[in-house]
Amino acid sequence: MNGKGSVLGIFANARLLVEAIPDIRGKATGRLEAYTPFPIHGIDRALGLRKSPVGGMVFLMGVVGALSGLLFELWANGVDYPILTAGKPYLSWEAFVPIMFEMTVLFACFTSGLGMLLLLNRLPLFRNPVLRSPAMALFTKDKFGLEVQLDERGPDAETVAALLRQSGAEAVERIEEAGPRAAASPEFLASVAGGIVLVCALAGLLTYWATKLFPVSVPMVHMLSQPRLDPERSDPFFRDGFGMRPPVAATVLRGSVPYLIASEEEAAVVQNPLPRTEAVLGRGRQLFTDHCAVCHGLLGNGIGTLTPAYGAKPANLVAQKIIDLRDGQIHYVVRMGKNAMPSYAADLDDDQRWAAVHYVRALQRALNAKDEDIAR
Amino acid sequence: MSALSAADRELVLRKLRLPPVLSGPITCGDLDDQVLSHVTQKPPRAWAVAFSITSLAALAGFAFIGYTFYVGIGAWGNNIPVAWAFGIINFVFWIGIGHAGTLISAILLLFRARWRNAIARFAEAMTIFAVMVAGLFPLIHVGRPWLAFWLMPYPNQRGLWPNFRSPLMWDVFAVSTYFSVSLLYWYLGLVPDFASLRDRTRGRVRRFLYSVLSFGWRGAATHWHHFERAYLVIAGLATGLVLSVHSVVSFDFAVSLVPGWHMTIFPPYFVCGAIFAGFAMVVLAMVVVRTTMHLEHLITEYHLDVMNRILLTCSCLMAYAYLLEGFTAWYSMNPYIHHTFLQYIVGAYGWAGRLTIACNILIPQLLWLRFFRRNTAGMLLVSVAVTIGMWFERFVIIVSSLHQDFLPSSWHLYKPTVVDFGILTGSFGLFFTLVLLFARVLPVIATTEMKIVLPGSQPGGESHER
Repeated sequence: MNGKGSVLGIFANARLLVEAIPDIRGKATGRLEAYTPFPIHGIDRALGLRKSPVGGMVFLMGVVGALSGLLFELWANGVDYPILTAGKPYLSWEAFVPIMFEMTVLFACFTSGLGMLLLLNRLPLFRNPVLRSPAMALFTKDKFGLEVQLDERGPDAETVAALLRQSGAEAVERIEEAGPRAAASPEFLASVAGGIVLVCALAGLLTYWATKLFPVSVPMVHMLSQPRLDPERSDPFFRDGFGMRPPVAATVLRGSVPYLIASEEEAAVVQNPLPRTEAVLGRGRQLFTDHCAVCHGLLGNGIGTLTPAYGAKPANLVAQKIIDLRDGQIHYVVRMGKNAMPSYAADLDDDQRWAAVHYVRALQRALNAKDEDIAR
Repeated sequence: MSALSAADRELVLRKLRLPPVLSGPITCGDLDDQVLSHVTQKPPRAWAVAFSITSLAALAGFAFIGYTFYVGIGAWGNNIPVAWAFGIINFVFWIGIGHAGTLISAILLLFRARWRNAIARFAEAMTIFAVMVAGLFPLIHVGRPWLAFWLMPYPNQRGLWPNFRSPLMWDVFAVSTYFSVSLLYWYLGLVPDFASLRDRTRGRVRRFLYSVLSFGWRGAATHWHHFERAYLVIAGLATGLVLSVHSVVSFDFAVSLVPGWHMTIFPPYFVCGAIFAGFAMVVLAMVVVRTTMHLEHLITEYHLDVMNRILLTCSCLMAYAYLLEGFTAWYSMNPYIHHTFLQYIVGAYGWAGRLTIACNILIPQLLWLRFFRRNTAGMLLVSVAVTIGMWFERFVIIVSSLHQDFLPSSWHLYKPTVVDFGILTGSFGLFFTLVLLFARVLPVIATTEMKIVLPGSQPGGESHER
């Protein structure tokens, strides 16, 4: 009548335990496990344990750490956001070695520590029957235990117990097999769920508070509140009380050309001075994307990301009305503004505006393409 | 050997045998009772007094930090040309203190020095606290600490990545890796001790807490088998890590072009200095702990003697590094480096340089005498001197080098403010508060590792030398 579970022998010292193991191993068929307060020399050999795979795991993850560190640095500083440092090539790797090394150690150490604890030793585990036995308190202090699993083929519990006593165990204990895992009670589940909801709510409130109040609370706004001159604001610094200064009389701003066109009609005669090359169109596309697309849309169709927010109706640039305008007139509107559209004179210079005009023309043609436009 | 007589042979063997790492007979059970009982006992009055002093200092330090956040870094004495001052001095100082713990727990483990087992836990805890304190300084030094997370590479809507070729970035990685690995290593060592605590405490809450913290550790031989391997592997990796961390800290200086900083000796010089300062702090703490917690038979005079020998070795290495710094300056034939080096000894801050040499080189020479290696007052004298000396060494490196740079028109003397001193005091307060808390709630001696070296603990009879 072989029951399940195991028999646990308690030994007074390490020598008795280690000497008992070969004897028991020869006679009992079940798995053996020893419990000791500290690691013991030679017990792994006595129990027939295989070499621990920690070394291999660590090596593998160390290599992964090194490669991920190096490749990430190369990608981030060489490809995605190239930073030129001391005239070195973007993909020079030498200065990436320290971080690569740290990543190697980080990956390797955590693989070793957590891999050992969680993966190889299958901890945390609180349901082990030996852990629940009162003998456990002895094994974490100064006694040594040997657990023999009972199985169908081997000797029964009484025989194993006698065997352990013969080998020098000072006490023997019967360990029942762990019962099935008890199902969590509804109250427990409810309290866990309630706890999660509460924590989420608190975290949400905290985040809300942090994003609303933190950026405008005192030390954070010191940069805004420092003494300075603001455009369009009065300031006692100058005698006339204006913060802005008028341009010096009878001077022309460096690089500026006086613009003498007075109306949109007059602007029709002005020719686009830029050639229609790929470079100019590329530049125009970049400028259009950065400055125009928020309202007019990436396709120029008047549907941009900001359109709904402001309730304005930006012009549909690919409509016939705009196609019929002359280059000079589009250029004039960009410079002077029209209806709700502000002037872009301060943002784009003359050449940039002309490049954008070329790109608008390209959009118009692309969205109203005819058969002849398709390359054969 | 055969030429020796039996009596001579006995004498040689006696001389070769290592002194015991424990005094008096002690069993595993006694050890647990003595070390682990501290956790549940009411603390002595002296502890409460010390704790109130240190926590008050820490609170004052935090108040000064809050003031710095409010008004900005202008609250400190830093200005151009001395833009790095107390903030970076304290950072390098505390990171250095942290190095002794890993040296004791990892490097000495690899060298199988049995005496390390008694002090490893305490030294590791000091490492963690010192790195925590050190980590504060770069954070508050950035001026807008609420944006310090920009140091971390994370995908952001600005499409930017930090510059991984910058030594300051290396520092971020080195220090944070060092902190996480030290914490992991310390925690792993604590797991079996948490199991011991779990099995000897009665209170339900404590028992549950220790049970969770111990991950349900049950001391199975199969578990120890993996545990020892993993512990050894981390020790090996941490050895490389600890050497890299202070080397990387030294790169913050050495990679720049400032005369006095731009030197190839810096990485080993910094690592040695770090171990030196850290050991002094460990000796200081151990002397206090062993008497107040009555652990004289576990942390014996032999332990302190060995630590003091390491202190003396480091002191001699530091002397060599100082001499080599002078030699490099002279050999460079560079007038700027000549000038900076002279500033270290005879300039406006020459007193700090001379104090450094006295505290780090001259006073530790007392340790050649056995009396000073074993006498409490002597050890306190030397370790306090080294702590002061190592702080001033960083002061000399940073402030003396910066205050007179290439342009005489920008020369300026640096003067720390009350806030600087307040935060420095606060950092000591915080460190010792954490140490005192640790001594109260966690076992200060790794009982599991001590059991290994108890006589007769191993099946062969001899104690197991790891």
